[in-house]
Amino acid sequence: MPRALAGIRVVDLTVEPWGGIAAALLGDFGADVIRVDGLGPPVAVGPEDERAPGAWNADAALAQRNKRSLGVDLARPAGRELVQALVARADVVLTDRARADLEHLGLDYRTLGAHKPDLIYARGSGFGPKGPDADLPAIDELAAARTGMMPILPQPGRPPVFPGHGQMYTAVMLAFGILTALHHRARTGAGQEVDASLLAGNMYGASLDLQAYLAIGGERMLQPISRLDAGNPMSGTMYTSADGPWVTLTMPDTDRWWPIFAPLVELAVDDPRFDTHDKRCGAHRLEMMRVLEAAFRRRPAAHWRAMFQERQLSADIIESYDFPAADPQVYRNRYLLAIDDPSHGAQTSLGFPIFMSETPARLDAAAPARGQHGAAILHDLLGLSEDAITALRDAGTIAG
Amino acid sequence: MASALEGLRVIDLTVWFQGPVAAQHLADFGAEVIKVERPKGGDQGRGVRSIKALPVGDWNQYFLVINRNKKSMALDLKTEAGREIMYRLVERSDVFLSNLGAENLDAWQLTWEKLAAINPKLIYATTTGYGPYATTVKPSFDMTVQALTGLMSRLGEPGEPPIYLGMGSGDAYGGLMAALAILLALWHRNATGRGQRIDASLYGAQLFLAAPTLQAWLATRDPRYATQQSRVAARNPLWNTYRAEDQWLMLCAPNRDDAFAALAATLDPADAGLGGDPRFATAVGRREHARALVAALDAAIVRRSAGDWMARWAPLAERRVAASPVATLADLARDAGAWANDYLMETHCEEVHRTVTVRGMPVGLSRTPGVIRSLGAELGQDTEMILFEMLGYDWDEIGALKAKGAIP
Repeated sequence: MPRALAGIRVVDLTVEPWGGIAAALLGDFGADVIRVDGLGPPVAVGPEDERAPGAWNADAALAQRNKRSLGVDLARPAGRELVQALVARADVVLTDRARADLEHLGLDYRTLGAHKPDLIYARGSGFGPKGPDADLPAIDELAAARTGMMPILPQPGRPPVFPGHGQMYTAVMLAFGILTALHHRARTGAGQEVDASLLAGNMYGASLDLQAYLAIGGERMLQPISRLDAGNPMSGTMYTSADGPWVTLTMPDTDRWWPIFAPLVELAVDDPRFDTHDKRCGAHRLEMMRVLEAAFRRRPAAHWRAMFQERQLSADIIESYDFPAADPQVYRNRYLLAIDDPSHGAQTSLGFPIFMSETPARLDAAAPARGQHGAAILHDLLGLSEDAITALRDAGTIAG
Repeated sequence: MASALEGLRVIDLTVWFQGPVAAQHLADFGAEVIKVERPKGGDQGRGVRSIKALPVGDWNQYFLVINRNKKSMALDLKTEAGREIMYRLVERSDVFLSNLGAENLDAWQLTWEKLAAINPKLIYATTTGYGPYATTVKPSFDMTVQALTGLMSRLGEPGEPPIYLGMGSGDAYGGLMAALAILLALWHRNATGRGQRIDASLYGAQLFLAAPTLQAWLATRDPRYATQQSRVAARNPLWNTYRAEDQWLMLCAPNRDDAFAALAATLDPADAGLGGDPRFATAVGRREHARALVAALDAAIVRRSAGDWMARWAPLAERRVAASPVATLADLARDAGAWANDYLMETHCEEVHRTVTVRGMPVGLSRTPGVIRSLGAELGQDTEMILFEMLGYDWDEIGALKAKGAIP
């Protein structure tokens, strides 16, 4: 099978999992991703790693798959020069390091782009390259705290909730920005800087709530809203089933669904309280939610799921991770993969969120050990002799 | 200013959110996006009248923002003549994007096989609920699919209802995935001349969205990744939410002795003793006695305002102690960095003849930044010009198409 990004080379200077995932997405589609693993202590700023020693590192397996690794001591000028030489033979640099660190290492855009005007230099940050917070640490919790969603996610009166997924929007935004810049380069020959941030990621995750506040404003948009005070009883709502699991409905255009839905919850289609969209979402909205809450409590979740499927309704049961992990269509779509790790045997991993008929994503290589491909990379790309590579290794400039 | 995706033409046969937002990303960076809508009412997103039980007001931001920078063409695809127009459009386009149900695309003969026969270089993109190999076949919106992933049931305090990540949260992610997939497919096409079919689904995108905890859960099956965890028992009490006198704070400090000592030294004298509490003297101790430590910090932090704590903790940055007040959407709307980076932008709204504030660009490109040229178009406003200028119909033929009901 051909690869979508055949011939594209990416130098991956990331340290955070989400930065690594952005580069891995390009590797999944065939880019040659060379991960530069520094030899110092890890510099990631997130919460500590709590894995049992020796356990399969699932997060690294996802974030570093389909890459080759060069272990380099970036504290040494000779190490930095190797990376600069690699960049000269690459199309894309991807990093999530702080600007001051990159400048200190001579791996900032000004330095690298000066010699290579067609370079695409992508950097993920906490809050974007401009403005007063450009150099705050890239921590998803901080960016989420600034986005305005944390107070309104829970039920009223409950503590704010950190969702934890803003970083995943950021990872894909970086990949999207790189592809956009590559298309521009193909037409004009010009490279450029690409930036995405955790703040932008969290903001795009908050799409509609944020845009609704910007357009409508008002105190209600700033406060958590009780699940039984939703704007539309049939859309974006949750109700309790008889045996515990939650039922959720999203049927925004209620006129279309009402004739099918009403009998399911033992309501007459012509019930005068609820027989128009305006009544359901207006004067009788709260009453309808009380009625639905009582109706869904009468039967177990499995009954509701079967009914939703039979009647083709956009409604379902709120599940836990064990549900997708046991769902065959998830594996057929390769959203999850059953993999055989060389050291840790049978494992399940996240797979590929994008389907392509001609150039599908592939798991070509498990996450490399630090420095695993150093010699091959230096020989093949920089033309270094075996003796020169040995000398670099003996001097401690490269790992392996 | 130059646009990155200049010269790219996209047919956008989508409704609601996931599909339209995918095309929005391409349009923001200069692709010519032609939104094709049914003549009667158009995209259902045009019909949104209220959000959170509040009237949308005089401009429908739901529709106008994600359909910005696009042209609108009204076409009745139930008619033979309407489909002929679509086929001619397909001949002259790079991308066909749809999130309509497969039954519609089949009935209107807009399948991949049919369109690829017309234009072998075409990228045929769909955004779906459950993916190309789905066994679940039913209408889907993002919350009902988010519900399946397990994302919702692990958020919030134990015993509370599950938490939805926000209106359109899954659509936004699936849409972004589709935009990326389209650019990947175009890259391949430019190299080989071959088109292909791509898909991004709510299910696939939102499973990927869950990566920060789902991947660890898959490896360990440890319930703490999959179930609601209380802040009062945070694994690292120094990385947690705390309520100050006036507002919540997000504190992010490593569970290290130096960070803890520095934090303890900022507390009021009455509370500073917890710095010397032997239970909290080591990282392991702080984890094992997390409930006691969170309770002690709760009692201490609520005494002072968020601003006071931010000032006291600012010098601790060198010990990797960071914190932020938990902002509201109103705070974000005033956020200097969000404006400086074009995450928020102002633009003219034709509907109301004034400047409005909208979500801006999710990603910055230094040489070819995304721009907002216009908000969503009026239904069908470009139909005739597209027929005449792009597709080569003359005015008599256009009149005949109207008579046949293919266009309004």
